[in-house]
Amino acid sequence: MTSHSRIRRFFFPSLTPRFLIRVCFVAVAAYLFFGHVLIPIRIQGTSMEPTYRNGGMNFCWKLRYLFSKPERHDVVAVRFAGNRVMLLKRVVALEGEQVEFRNGKLFVDGGEIPEPYVLNPCNWNLPPREVETGCVYVVGDNRSMPIENHYFGQTSVKRIVGVPLW
Amino acid sequence: MVRLRYVIIALVVVGLGLFAVVYFSPSEEKRVRKQFDLLSEYVSKDPDENAIAMARKMQNLGSLFGDSCELQIAVEVLSGTYTREEISSYAARARARFPKLSLGVNDLQVTFPEHEVAKVTLTARLTGQTRAGEQRRETRELECLLKKTEGKWLFSHIEVIEVLKK
Repeated sequence: MTSHSRIRRFFFPSLTPRFLIRVCFVAVAAYLFFGHVLIPIRIQGTSMEPTYRNGGMNFCWKLRYLFSKPERHDVVAVRFAGNRVMLLKRVVALEGEQVEFRNGKLFVDGGEIPEPYVLNPCNWNLPPREVETGCVYVVGDNRSMPIENHYFGQTSVKRIVGVPLW
Repeated sequence: MVRLRYVIIALVVVGLGLFAVVYFSPSEEKRVRKQFDLLSEYVSKDPDENAIAMARKMQNLGSLFGDSCELQIAVEVLSGTYTREEISSYAARARARFPKLSLGVNDLQVTFPEHEVAKVTLTARLTGQTRAGEQRRETRELECLLKKTEGKWLFSHIEVIEVLKK
């Protein structure tokens, strides 16, 4: 078989039953993998800047918390009614912990938590509140806007779908 | 032998016909989903929308709601029961602030907990551009109850689910 005919066969394969079965298998595998394991996501909004830029592409790795729980500083995808629309936020406090903001600094159980990923100046103040059982406290990295305009807070661990792949 | 072939062909044709009738006939779930498509259409706005089109849309928007509709939201001031006229009026005022507005509904899950009552959970995404050119984007999970009145599915209760609790 010449290399020319091999290339031709690669791009224009004959529709044999074996080839059709292979196509079906690849299609089903791709649907299951990219629909339920590694979901492609497009980032919209600026709440996670500068870590994740508006308009960027990524994948949501759903198996990340199969055998573990979210930890502080993890970036997680939080679902709404389904998987079509998700929030990308960072876990800053875990269940049972007291979380608060003082002049833009994060305090958990009274101790200041360094946040090297927050690069924009911030002057947020939030009175202390305890994170309920089965929940985590999530906030975006971009704190440049007033606290009222930033969508953040406590959410159920059950709503965490996965993590961005990078 | 020939007769048997005709019988088989007739059975296949009847089967396909039944499948087409079942598949294409508007089921109750499709009718409920249609109400959300209409809601999205009436709330959305193009920059070149004229006053007559706006008035017609607001009138149509009111017709999607029952005589009264209860709104339940974490912001106490907005919670309450509204008539369809009030809903049209508030929606018209809110739309006037945005030259361009778009309401998208995702991840609709429709169930029928009672006879002639539909419960729908969904993710609603409202995207708009203010007159100052500022881009606004709000995403919320909603739980809606629709009741069938005179053959129409009308909104009777809308609850904004608190995904993140400050």
